[in-house]
Amino acid sequence: MDFYLFVEGPLLWIAFMVFIIGSLLRAAMFLVVSTKKDKIIYENFSWKYVFTSIVNWLLPFNKSVAKNPVYSILGYIFHICLVIVPIWLAGHISLWEESRFEWSWTPIPDELADWMTLIFLAIALFFLLRRIFSADIRLISGCADYFLLIVTALPFLTGYFLTHGTLDSVGFLGDNMTLIHMLSGELMLILIPFTKLSHFILFFFSRGASGIEFGRRGYSI
Amino acid sequence: MSEEIKPDEIVNFLKPRLNARFKMWLNICARCGLCADTCHYYRAHGNDPKMIPSYKVRFLREILKKKGKVDRDYLQKVYDTVYHECNMCRRCTLYCPFGIDIALMISLTRAMLFSQGIAPEGLVKAIDNYKAFGNQMAVTDEDWVDTIEWVEEEMAEELVGLKIPIDKKGAKILYTVNAREPMFYPQDMMEVAKIFYVAGEDYTYCSKPGWDDTNLAMFCGDAKTSKLIVENTFKRAEELGVQQVAVTE
Repeated sequence: MDFYLFVEGPLLWIAFMVFIIGSLLRAAMFLVVSTKKDKIIYENFSWKYVFTSIVNWLLPFNKSVAKNPVYSILGYIFHICLVIVPIWLAGHISLWEESRFEWSWTPIPDELADWMTLIFLAIALFFLLRRIFSADIRLISGCADYFLLIVTALPFLTGYFLTHGTLDSVGFLGDNMTLIHMLSGELMLILIPFTKLSHFILFFFSRGASGIEFGRRGYSI
Repeated sequence: MSEEIKPDEIVNFLKPRLNARFKMWLNICARCGLCADTCHYYRAHGNDPKMIPSYKVRFLREILKKKGKVDRDYLQKVYDTVYHECNMCRRCTLYCPFGIDIALMISLTRAMLFSQGIAPEGLVKAIDNYKAFGNQMAVTDEDWVDTIEWVEEEMAEELVGLKIPIDKKGAKILYTVNAREPMFYPQDMMEVAKIFYVAGEDYTYCSKPGWDDTNLAMFCGDAKTSKLIVENTFKRAEELGVQQVAVTE
């Protein structure tokens, strides 16, 4: 039970802190180093190109959607579920309400969350199979790519098991699903700043930088 | 080619040039593979996975991880990839969800190879020529002016009164050429002289270095020579007080 309390309390704090501070540091590091070594960005800075570059890719108005519609649209759905479910899940919000912050916001219906979770898991499985069986993707994939995909999917899988009691009858797993679910979520949060998952924040800087690089030649990307 | 590979030299070359974008890109590439079929090398090689742009930049990551401790065979492999499997067209960047600029990283890799004395022979020769003569074909200033005058004579037979201005101060356009033109294709210069004459354009050639608008040094990431070449043209443009520089290459 001690371990459970640790995971539920201090470890959760640590995970969130590592996630938030780590991500901000990654962004700050980019800004600090780039002002010295990537002067071209600032010499040609233009909000117009930064903004278009980000918006065109946050929304499906870009070249890759036209070229690879299936994969791209799946990618969008994957990310939408990834962001919405954990933040607007009723079960999570009620925990925020009970917490010292007493934060509260309107949840999405549980049924929708269930569907989004299943869709997310199906896409994650598809991505994993694609990584394993497509000769192209297999060649460029390293261990980290497989590992991080699983790390990202685990909180959803365990969350589904937890809310539906799927594995309740399976001894250890059934008894500790809450613990496993929390651990998997914390693992993901902690890994974000140190891995390619940091693209959740660096995406904006990368698109901005390249938006300017092409924009200074009058071309919007 | 130098015989020995010096790991510290490689690292000392790469470290200061590894800017914030490169670091970020090496880190966030999600290996999604969307860049694969945007690459014409990939398509032309029967969709060979080895031609995937994101795969081609792995060397940069590997060399940094190994702290530059690589052998010549390895660098030869890097050379084959960065020169023969990527021409830095940047098409993959247009399709990358993060806008990762693979071409810039390939360029840095080429520059690193150049620092170790590894570059295509033709480029190395051209760079020597730029430094000595200001153009890639080692055309001397005298030969250059002679060629223009000869072109003028030839064309004046066809179009009476045709003149090719050299170093004309205050002309509107400074016209530059590929150094291969005076060397191998003076007929190109003849055609251009005709067009300018008929169009009545106010243009000029310059007699001193700056008239060659190719920049082959750029292709092996030799920024120093690359800069020298561009500066030559700017210098001439300022001396002559032209409004525009026509770059035909």
